Amino acid sequence: MKVTLDTNHGTITLLLDSEKAPKTVENFKTYVENGHYDGTIFHRVIDGFMIQGGGFTPDMKQKGTLAPIENEADNGLKNTLGSIAMARTNDPHSATAQFFINVADNGFLNHTSPSPQGWGYAVFGEVIDGMDVVNSIKSVSTGNNGVHQDVPKESVVINKASII
Amino acid sequence: MKAVLISDLHLEENRPDITQAFEKFCEHHLEGITHFFILGDLFEVWIGDDYETDFIKHIKNVLKKISAQIDECYFQHGNRDFLMGKQFAQETGFQLLDDQYTFSLNGQNYLLMHGDSLCTLDTEYMQARMLLRSEGFKENVLGRSIEDRLLLAQQLRNTSKDANSDKSMEIMDVTPEEVVKLMEATKTDIFIHGHTHRPQVHTLHLSHNANAKRFVMSDWEKDVQYVTLNNKGTELLTFSKP
Repeated sequence: MKVTLDTNHGTITLLLDSEKAPKTVENFKTYVENGHYDGTIFHRVIDGFMIQGGGFTPDMKQKGTLAPIENEADNGLKNTLGSIAMARTNDPHSATAQFFINVADNGFLNHTSPSPQGWGYAVFGEVIDGMDVVNSIKSVSTGNNGVHQDVPKESVVINKASII
Repeated sequence: MKAVLISDLHLEENRPDITQAFEKFCEHHLEGITHFFILGDLFEVWIGDDYETDFIKHIKNVLKKISAQIDECYFQHGNRDFLMGKQFAQETGFQLLDDQYTFSLNGQNYLLMHGDSLCTLDTEYMQARMLLRSEGFKENVLGRSIEDRLLLAQQLRNTSKDANSDKSMEIMDVTPEEVVKLMEATKTDIFIHGHTHRPQVHTLHLSHNANAKRFVMSDWEKDVQYVTLNNKGTELLTFSKP
């Protein structure tokens, strides 16, 4: 399955791996189809690490989500440059809508053991087109916004997410 | 001065995720700084500078790279790695600070510590600490074989785990009265420490400063809370995973 994220920096095309991450892809697809991501932002951008989005509106209000999903980080997919994975809280099985795109190889986010420390972050696809857009996003200037750090000073907005 | 302070990484071989998080942190949060401080418990265990594994070699290389870029790099002993010594400092380009280190910046007096010496309600630990940190004990331990020391470290960790499972949260925190006493005695305005793994910024009313601050940094088990310190002030910031 392919998904495009039409952002104010350009379009990112993602290839999702429904074989290795069936539950995560199904979950992501649901949020794409119900329009959840439209109008959300990349609210946490750290060059050399990752860009995280899909949870906040430009005024930094967190959007409501569906129930959290099971963490499929043990599927063998790695947090390498250009991969997309689910963001979560400290609870391994707490991912809902927020995702991130790795802008570096982040081996320390990979699954190492079925423990709270070792679960890692579930990769479920990769960027197949628009890495220049990702690179443009990772380079924006960021600052603090309330309790949030690394927030782009000018909003990076996902205008529309679509299945193609 | 532009400083970053961290503590309580508890680096160990079987937690590569923490080592990698530390490397990632250093790649992105140390740019342009002049001072870097590690306030204790960099390692989960340290049995002497003469003991080296591939893991320890790797960490030394990471630290060496940092000290090549940053003018002044310092570490303090924690309760886990108090046997770190001059050789380690030399090899990494870091300098070992006194357990209680003070300095001034922009009219504010700062105090840096690991923090374990202020957990005075934990009398059992305070007694053990007195023994463990004595020169006689250090000499004795460092004179033993590596095998003996590894075994001893394991025993100490197990004893500590057993003992701590019965202790209240209050006992294992720093004693508020001791903090006040120390900050007033040293006339310090901002106190930064780790050890308790209870990240927070506390405000204190001291005789010389009614708005003194105590910054407590976190361990690296989950989200990391670290301190930045520069001409604009002192802040407790978070480095978290996605």
